[in-house]
Amino acid sequence: MLDLFSIFSKGGIVLWCFQSTSDIFSPSVNSLIRNVILQERSGNNSYNHNALTLQYKLDNEFELVFVVAYQKILQLSYVDKFLNDIHLEFRDKYKNDLQGGHYITDFDFKTTFENVLRQCEQWAKSQAKIPKQMRTFEDSLKSKKTVASMIERKGDEKNKKSVKIVENKSIANGKVEEPVDTDDDLIAANRAKLAQKLATKGKKDVKKSPKSPTNANKVVDRTKKPRVWELGGDSRDLPSLDFSTDKEGDVEVAADTQLIGQMTGAIRDLEVESEESSSEEEVEQGKPSPKKSGGMFSIFKGLVGSKALTEETMRPVLDKMRDHLIGKNVAADIANKLCDSVSTKLDGKVLGTFDSVAKTVKATLTESLMQILSPKRRVDILRDCLHAKQQGRPYVMSFCGVNGVGKSTNLAKICFWLIENDLSVLIAACDTFRAGAVEQLRTHTRRLDALHPPQAHGGRRMVHLYEKGYGKDAAGIAAEAIRFAADSKIDIVLIDTAGRMQDNEPLMRALAKLIKVNEPDLVLFVGEALVGNEAVDQLVKFNQALADHSSSSNPHVIDGIVLTKFDTIDDKVGAAISMTYITGQPIVFVGTGQTYTDLKALNANAVVHALMK
Amino acid sequence: MESESEVIKEKIHTDPILNDPRYITLLSVVLLLVTLVFWWCFSRRRSLRNSVLLTGLSDAGKTLLFVRLVYSQYRQTFTSMKANIEEYITSNNTLRIVDLPGQERLRNKFFDQYKNSAKAIVYVVDSVTIQKEIRDVAEYLYTILVDPVIQSNCPPLLILCNKQDQPMAKGSQVIRSLLEKEINLVRVTKSSQLQATDSSQSSNTYLGKLGKEFEFSHLSCSVELLESSASTGDDDNPTDIKALQDWISNL
Repeated sequence: MLDLFSIFSKGGIVLWCFQSTSDIFSPSVNSLIRNVILQERSGNNSYNHNALTLQYKLDNEFELVFVVAYQKILQLSYVDKFLNDIHLEFRDKYKNDLQGGHYITDFDFKTTFENVLRQCEQWAKSQAKIPKQMRTFEDSLKSKKTVASMIERKGDEKNKKSVKIVENKSIANGKVEEPVDTDDDLIAANRAKLAQKLATKGKKDVKKSPKSPTNANKVVDRTKKPRVWELGGDSRDLPSLDFSTDKEGDVEVAADTQLIGQMTGAIRDLEVESEESSSEEEVEQGKPSPKKSGGMFSIFKGLVGSKALTEETMRPVLDKMRDHLIGKNVAADIANKLCDSVSTKLDGKVLGTFDSVAKTVKATLTESLMQILSPKRRVDILRDCLHAKQQGRPYVMSFCGVNGVGKSTNLAKICFWLIENDLSVLIAACDTFRAGAVEQLRTHTRRLDALHPPQAHGGRRMVHLYEKGYGKDAAGIAAEAIRFAADSKIDIVLIDTAGRMQDNEPLMRALAKLIKVNEPDLVLFVGEALVGNEAVDQLVKFNQALADHSSSSNPHVIDGIVLTKFDTIDDKVGAAISMTYITGQPIVFVGTGQTYTDLKALNANAVVHALMK
Repeated sequence: MESESEVIKEKIHTDPILNDPRYITLLSVVLLLVTLVFWWCFSRRRSLRNSVLLTGLSDAGKTLLFVRLVYSQYRQTFTSMKANIEEYITSNNTLRIVDLPGQERLRNKFFDQYKNSAKAIVYVVDSVTIQKEIRDVAEYLYTILVDPVIQSNCPPLLILCNKQDQPMAKGSQVIRSLLEKEINLVRVTKSSQLQATDSSQSSNTYLGKLGKEFEFSHLSCSVELLESSASTGDDDNPTDIKALQDWISNL
């Protein structure tokens, strides 16, 4: 069932290989290495390439990689277990060779491999045969929901997310409307509610924290809201909460049990996320490397000699590193993924005598950050411009981004840099929406013209502006501008687009159309360095829009990033990491001010140094 | 009792030699000299340049060349994530062959790690795809040539045109002219690049001679071009790394 199983060293030499078909798997494995392992996305360990799914496991002690490839349509459940077992078998059998670094011996592994594979397949079959246990009520999700949230009403579908907030808001209304029939019943009901409220006050803080980051992005209503109590339910629950018609003696007891049932439901509702995540952590804890140093001398073994890194030992250090990164303005998601990939990289690694866990983790994290910031392709705009000039067509760069990040300012700075290097530029004013956009570009053109007059460049005018006023179609203007540049033998075209929010679907579609129709050589995303978690959302949605609305199978997504307002952040440079991690594209320009000379290139060393300080 | 006091007196007589301050200073000076000599030898050993670096773009064939050279065998290879290092014994001396990963994100890190100990550099080029990738090839070669450590140490550079067994492989003369023309352009564009945000690393060296077309003979380091082929080796196209081996032996 497995198409490929291969063991190779991190230096690239294959130790042992099994292929069941005669296809060539090197492109798939190379692509796995390039896209997953080297891009620090080793948190999830399955990867799809063409029609294959690849899963891998790293051995950090002997610097090996175990890779399994199978057809994507098959869904093999035993691959994780198989990788673990075969890893142990191989390591036990060839420990001496591996420790000496003898990768070029003939490993006779076929029989062991077949045995392990057969065992895993049988295990999978037996697992499939066990009749699926029915979940108990406590395990199911239903017990964790409130009664109210399960009542389906028309018109509720579109507000599913804010159901909880709506419920809470109208509890006050519910309380006010509750008819006061008898004083006794009211007092009893209120006393019960008071008891519950006091009991859950402690839990309220725990509940608030996991919810607050996800609520941050929702629209915050600034009007005065009625106080919300966590006794779930709204005015529709009134009949069940109304105990005034019940018998006297049993009222309290009945109320208590009913309320308790609802309360725990409400609390669990908000805690669902944190519980699931904590259970995931426990699952991860469950599979550490099986090295356990026991016995009397384990203390001494920790001081002298080698100790292997495990999840538990690395966890406190990684948590501290994660908080440090988030404090430096790296998006929370990205910091999480980075720490996960560092722990995968170091799991099972043997430390030297004087290395501490913290130092090793910090060094690996620094290495990963350097790797992320190193460009994965050549960044030399001038050379590409010359190349396009040789081919007799203009080099087209387009700038996109949300509102107010500095697209027009940085476009002018880049224009200045290009003119200084003796290349003529045409600025296409495709921002036909914002008032004053065209005038702004006209002012820049005039100033640049004054700085580099045609006399200084052999009678050739270096900056041109192509504009068609306001209200017209941006894609059309860009197409005309490129044609004009080709006719007038202008070297470069810079397209300035209007700022748009990533959620605005019609505008994203218009941007995608502009890119699709004009096919620029470079699509630059302009992002400001002040942005925090928003960077992730912006980039993902921009890339998604460009990919979705392009009709070709190979859509032209964002090619590079311009990081602006870099002078406003001192050393909270995390936005650079977030942006490069999400797209995988290099940071081409860095804007550090508002004059024409405030344009720099990114220095990866300095940024990583500032991040880890 | 008397014998005891005699023994004590003898001891007191023999002690003065050790208590003599001149003796102590002499001893400590000798120890200091010995430590200094050891430390000097050790540091010199560490900074001894005895490695041959195999570098180049990704998928040029460096790891396979490494395996062929050092182990004289064939192994399937994938993209390297770490450097491969082995001792290599020639007729004259013992060298360390270091195979650096060519992946864009890793190559600078590993090159910086090993450039100080480089006695010679072998830049491996894929002769089949050189035409398409000429800009990337030239840019990395330019980065190596402009590096301050390489400029000061000036190790001999060999540009190895690999994969000659393929039918579309270009010859070394063609590759030489392609590279020279490309570096001619690259040296201008690279020196007008933007400064880095923290402008601590900026090298303003200009390769070759100003005003003249770039040629490898203008450089102060010796640059050679040779051909090789490291793949499976059937009877028609046998593995041919003899040129590389000879060049290494002549270092």
